[in-house]
Amino acid sequence: MADIQEKKLKDKVLEAKKLKEENLKNSNQKLDLMQLIAFKQGEEEYAMNIDQIKEVVITPNITKMPQTPEYIKGVANIRGNIIAIMDLEEKFGIKTKEGNTDAAGKNFTLVIESEDLKVGILVKEVPNTLAVSESDIDEAVNVIHSSNVDQNYITGIVKIDDRLVILIDVFKVVNEVDISTTNKIAV
Amino acid sequence: MSSKEEEYKEIFLAEAQENFEDVNRLLTDLEKNLEDKNIVNALFRITHTLKGNAAGMGFLDISSLAHVIEDLFGEVREGKLKLTKDMFTSLFRAVDTLGALINSLKDGSKVSFRGIKTKLEVIINRAKEEEASAAKPAEEEENKVEAPAAKKKAPAKSKAKSAKKKTTSAKKEEPKKEVENEELTAPQLEEINKLISQDEEEEDTGVSETEATETGNKITFSDLVQVPVKKLDNLLNLVGELIIERDRIIAAHSQNGNSNEYARLNRISSDLQYSVMDVRLVQVGFLFNKFHRVVRDAAAVEAKNVNLELKGTNTEIDRNILQIISDSLIHLIRNCVSHGIESPEERKKNKKSEAGTVTLAARNDSDGVIIDITDDGKGIDVERVREKALAKGLVTKEMLPMINEQDMLMLIFEAGFSTREEVTSLSGRGVGMDVVKKALDSIGGNITLHTEKGKGTTISLKLPSSMAVKGTLLFESENQQYAIPLSYTEAVVSLYKSSIHKVSGGLIATHLGKTISIVFLKDLFTFYKHAGGSHNHLQTGFNDLHPEQQLHVVIVTYNGRTVGLVVDKLLQQKEIVEKPLMKPLDQIKLISGVTILGNGHVCPVLNIAAIMSTIFNANLSNQKAI
Repeated sequence: MADIQEKKLKDKVLEAKKLKEENLKNSNQKLDLMQLIAFKQGEEEYAMNIDQIKEVVITPNITKMPQTPEYIKGVANIRGNIIAIMDLEEKFGIKTKEGNTDAAGKNFTLVIESEDLKVGILVKEVPNTLAVSESDIDEAVNVIHSSNVDQNYITGIVKIDDRLVILIDVFKVVNEVDISTTNKIAV
Repeated sequence: MSSKEEEYKEIFLAEAQENFEDVNRLLTDLEKNLEDKNIVNALFRITHTLKGNAAGMGFLDISSLAHVIEDLFGEVREGKLKLTKDMFTSLFRAVDTLGALINSLKDGSKVSFRGIKTKLEVIINRAKEEEASAAKPAEEEENKVEAPAAKKKAPAKSKAKSAKKKTTSAKKEEPKKEVENEELTAPQLEEINKLISQDEEEEDTGVSETEATETGNKITFSDLVQVPVKKLDNLLNLVGELIIERDRIIAAHSQNGNSNEYARLNRISSDLQYSVMDVRLVQVGFLFNKFHRVVRDAAAVEAKNVNLELKGTNTEIDRNILQIISDSLIHLIRNCVSHGIESPEERKKNKKSEAGTVTLAARNDSDGVIIDITDDGKGIDVERVREKALAKGLVTKEMLPMINEQDMLMLIFEAGFSTREEVTSLSGRGVGMDVVKKALDSIGGNITLHTEKGKGTTISLKLPSSMAVKGTLLFESENQQYAIPLSYTEAVVSLYKSSIHKVSGGLIATHLGKTISIVFLKDLFTFYKHAGGSHNHLQTGFNDLHPEQQLHVVIVTYNGRTVGLVVDKLLQQKEIVEKPLMKPLDQIKLISGVTILGNGHVCPVLNIAAIMSTIFNANLSNQKAI
C-alpha cells in the first residue's frame, strides 16, 4: 500500500519535472510559468520551488539526536545519506494537536539537498505539484510578524482561484535554523 | 641492511625515476623552444633536487652527474651559456646515462658515466672561457697597472741591496708575471684537451656507453606507486560502506539459519578492509627521526644538554593519525626540554648525569598504539600547578580539596595554562598543551600523565591505530541504539539503586575501590534543555527509579577521569565506520558522528571527550549553585 503510494508520488514528481523541462524549452512563450510543490502544514498550504526538492520518500526510521531544537526530529538514513529531519510545523509554531508526526509510517519526507546541506521536511499528505505563472505570485509580502522571528524565508504568496499558498525558500529556513541552534547551545 | 634503509632506497628510486622522466620531458620541450627560461629553471631545480637526494643516499655517481647537469643549466640560467641545437645530443645522452645510473641501483649493473660527464664539463668550461676571453682586455689592463707597481715594489724592497740586483729582480719579476698569465690558461687548455681526448677514447671503446643509452631508451616503470592520500581516504570510505552493507545483508538473512552462506563474503570483505588499512600504515620512525633536530634546536636555545632516545620506531600507525599528532608531539618534546630537563648545573647538583634524556617510545597495544614521551627531569610540581590553576581561575578555592592529584595534573592540558612565569620562545605561551588535548580528542585518543618529583615525567598518548574503523559497544537508551567507542570504555557493570548515592547535585558509586560519578545518559541528553533550571537535573533519572531496579553502567575513562554512564540495555560489540554530522547538525557536541546499523537505522556515536567536559562543568555549576 505504502509502496504504491510512494510510486504514485514519484511519478507525480517526475511528471512535474518533465513539465518544467518542457516549459523551459518553450520558455520564449511561457516564460512566467513556475513549478511548485505544495504541501500542507498546519491549516495552511505551503509551497516551494520544485528545484529545491530532490525526492519525496516515506518517512524512514528517525533517530533522535540530543542537543537539538525541538523541531529537529533527528536523523534518518535515506539511501545511505544521513539526513536531518525537520518539522516545519513546529518550527513555525503552527502545529495542530491532532497531527502527530511521530507516528512515522503515514508521513512523507521531502528530501532537500544542495551542495552543503541535506535535510528532510516532514509532511502529512502527499504533496501536490502546482504550476503557477509568475504574475500569480505576490512577492511584496507585508505580513505582520513578531519582530524576533525573521521571516525572510517567505518569498511570496500565491493566489490561485480560492487558494492561498505561502511560497517559502527552504534553504533560508534551514540557514536560520542553523543560527538559532548555535545561539541555543551558546547559552 | 635494515628494512628502513631499503624503504628509503625504494622511495629514492621512485622519486629519482620521476625526476628523470620530468627532465626528459622538459628537455624535449626545451629543444623546441630554446629561449624558454621557465623550462631551464625547472630543469635546474629538478636536477638540483636529484643531486641532493642522491648525495644524501650516498649514490655519488648519480649525484656527481646530476651536479654537472645542474651546473650546465645554472650557467644557461645566468645567461653565461647559450644553448645550441647540437648541445642537445650531449644533453640527452647525459640524461639517458643518468637514467641508466638510476636503474643500475636496482640491478647493480655498471654504467660508465665519466665520458658524458666530462663532455658536459667541457661545454661549461668553454662557456666560461668565452666569458673569460671577453673579460680579458680588462684583465690585461689590470695587469699593466700591476706590473709597474710590482716594479716599484721590488726596488723598494731591495733598497739596501745593489742596483744590479735591483734591475735583475725587476726583470725577473716581469717575465714571471707573463708566465703566470700564461699558466692561467695553459694548464686549463691542457686539461681540457686531455679531457676531450679521454672522452674520445671512451667514445671509441664506448661499448658500455651505448649500453647505457639503450637501457635509457627503454621505458621503465617504478615498483612503487605514489597515491594521493585523498584517494586512499576515498577507498577506505568505500570499504567502510561495503562492510556496513555486508552486515545489513547478513543481518537480514540470518533468520534463515544458513549463516555459512556468507562466511566467504565475510572473510573476503574483512581481508579487503584490513589490506586497505594496511596500505595507510606508516612506521612511526618516519616522524620520530625528525625530532632529533627539534630536540637539538630546543636544547640549544635553552643552553641544556639533551639526548633523544627513540624506541619502537617500527611500530606502525595510520598515516593520518601520525599527521594529526605530529604537531602535538613537537610541542610535548619541546616542553620536556624547556620545562622538564634541568640546566646542566642543576643536574650536577642533584647527582644526575649532565645530559638529560628525552625518550620517545612507541608500542602496540590491544587496539591501538601507545606513544610515551619520557624525560628524566625534575618532574611536575603539583603545588605550583594548584596555585596556577587557582590564579587562572580554572578551579575555585572551594573545589580544591575535591580534586585529587591526578586530576590536578591533568589541568595542564586545559586552555590558558602555563606553569612557567616567564614566557620563552619555545614553550610556555599558555597555548599548546590544550592543543595537544584537542588533537587527541579529535582522533579518539587518550592522554595520561605520570610524574615523580626529581625523577621525571612520562606522558602517554594512547592512539587508535586506524581511524577508519572504530571498535564500539552498542547499547540502548530510551529505545534507541547508541555506540560508545571502546577506546574509552573501561568496564561494564551492574549496579543496584542502593549502591548509588546522591552527592551535591550529582550521583556517585564505588567501582573497584574508587569513587566514580554516575550519570544517567538520558538526563545528560536533556541537560541542555533544562540548563539553568533545577540544578539537580542530573538526579532525575535516579529519582524515577524503582528501588530494586538493576542498572547497566558503562564505565568510561577519559584522560584520567572516570564516569559511569547508566544505559537501558547493553547490546553487542561492533566495529563501525563513523560518518561526521553534517549541517545543520554540526553544532551537536555530545555526538561525534553517526553510523548506519545493519537494519538501516542511524546510530549516534557518543563523543566521550565532550560528555566528560559537560559532566565536569555541570558539577562545577552545581557546586557554585550550592
